[in-house]
Amino acid sequence: MSRNSAQWRSRPKLPATHYADPAIYADPDLFAEEKEKIFKKVWWLAVHESELPNPGDFRTYRHPGDARLVLVRGEDGKVRSFYNLCPHRGNLLVYTPSGNSKNLVCIFHQWAFNGRGDCVDIPREKAGYQERLCKNDVALKEVRTEIGFGGFVWVNLDDHAPPLASEIGAALDYMLPELEAEPMETLWYYQARLATNYKLIHDTNSEFYHDYLHLYNRLTGMLKPDSGYFQRKYTAFPGGHASVGSMNVSYESYKASGRGQLGWPKLAPNGWKLVDLFPCITFNLRTSVLRIDTYIPLGPDDVIYEFRVLGLKSDSARIRSQREKDSAVIWGPFGRNLHEDLLASSGQGIAMARGSEPMHVLQAREESATIHDEIGMRHFLAEWSRRMGRSSAEPYAIERVSTRAA
Amino acid sequence: MASNPTRSDLEELVYRTCERLDEKDLAGFLSLCDAAFTYKVTAWAPEIRREMTWLDRGRAELEEFFKMLPKHNTDPNPLARHAQVTRVSLDDAGGRAEVTSTVQVFRTQLDGGATKLYAIGKYFDTVDCSGAAPRLLARHVRLDTRDLHWGTHLPI
Repeated sequence: MSRNSAQWRSRPKLPATHYADPAIYADPDLFAEEKEKIFKKVWWLAVHESELPNPGDFRTYRHPGDARLVLVRGEDGKVRSFYNLCPHRGNLLVYTPSGNSKNLVCIFHQWAFNGRGDCVDIPREKAGYQERLCKNDVALKEVRTEIGFGGFVWVNLDDHAPPLASEIGAALDYMLPELEAEPMETLWYYQARLATNYKLIHDTNSEFYHDYLHLYNRLTGMLKPDSGYFQRKYTAFPGGHASVGSMNVSYESYKASGRGQLGWPKLAPNGWKLVDLFPCITFNLRTSVLRIDTYIPLGPDDVIYEFRVLGLKSDSARIRSQREKDSAVIWGPFGRNLHEDLLASSGQGIAMARGSEPMHVLQAREESATIHDEIGMRHFLAEWSRRMGRSSAEPYAIERVSTRAA
Repeated sequence: MASNPTRSDLEELVYRTCERLDEKDLAGFLSLCDAAFTYKVTAWAPEIRREMTWLDRGRAELEEFFKMLPKHNTDPNPLARHAQVTRVSLDDAGGRAEVTSTVQVFRTQLDGGATKLYAIGKYFDTVDCSGAAPRLLARHVRLDTRDLHWGTHLPI
């Protein structure tokens, strides 16, 4: 029987941990609060070190905390991150997403900065500033930067945040042997701007009940009793992170998979490991490539989805090509699965847009933490609630209480 | 028997491939292609300063790929490919031609009918002219656009 408005708006008869208020996916005020309490506090995976291999190499990164950053490998080989902003008049220092330059030179007035962020040249410095201002006063603003977990470069806007290792904890331990087996390099990087909430796309990596969306995953896993698909288990880690246990993917069950026998060092043949990091980073290792999903939330219904595929630095051209072929079957703009994931999460963004009176979002499946259990989403939202100081099931409860008190 | 195609014949081949793809007539598209047809989509990523190969398939692989498509969840909004042939070069023997086209791809929302530019790039086609009619031997789609929104299951 269909529901009337009151029934539609009523809370599910479930524990508050098992559903979310749709406002957390659409409310601009909650999004602004997420920016302050989450995005500006956590470590973000900005780039992979292979994207700036040589001294003088730089890469830009649009930080979800509204900061435009530039990551630079200095002459000393160290990667540092700075605001991509000239301290003179606030112009962008770097206009291209990557490049190599001994110094970063602002096009506006030619102020120059080295790979340590030091100002090394101010044209006609003494003539204009005499002794009142010097190069030491106008260095770049540096952002905390660490490299780890397979050569990824992580940044954090919060000078007082705990170190990267303590934030990740043991969440990536499960994949570390594969991540550290050999130096990696980025083979694909692209972005897709989508009209949805970042949490909704991240959910497609946090629950696999949605494998009903993917013919490929049904044929190569769900419908193969011997694959271990239904035995895959979630492991939750402090901080909202979670990993998903491996299985034996039956690639031959999807004709036209085009897949070779390449595999990945230390990953079992046909294995599949996945780790989700709070708030929206996913390490996804299967076939012969490592896929990294990261997000740049721009608004409650606006997100830049960043997609990377990595292979090994030691790969020959032939092997690199095979890795790209393996990846292209299910991932990339033409892949079978990724297109379906983005269709579904974008559909959620359309259907649950602000003002559309959406229902409460269910994450109530309990199956002993196995693959169709929605514990991954619940674990994520528990951390979200902790950081926000609001229940994801009833995010306005505090405000209502304070209003009543007043 | 060599077809000795004119520029107009080669242009028409390119445009017919676009029509077949626009109609999602994948069998019709392959009927314009040689048995040894290969299809590739690449894009240059300035972020990582690397050429990315997003699809690279032979004819047999493509046929299998196409067979599975109706079983997948896929974007129902149609794409329209507008190609313009810019350069044609025939080899001395007349057995093979290289045809370059610029291409713009538009996507029209089924709901409401709004059309937006989806992608731009180039087709680098190799055409076999040794038979009775010119047939596509290879297509390399080199995209300028890298943000392809939620993507597509169809050849571009």
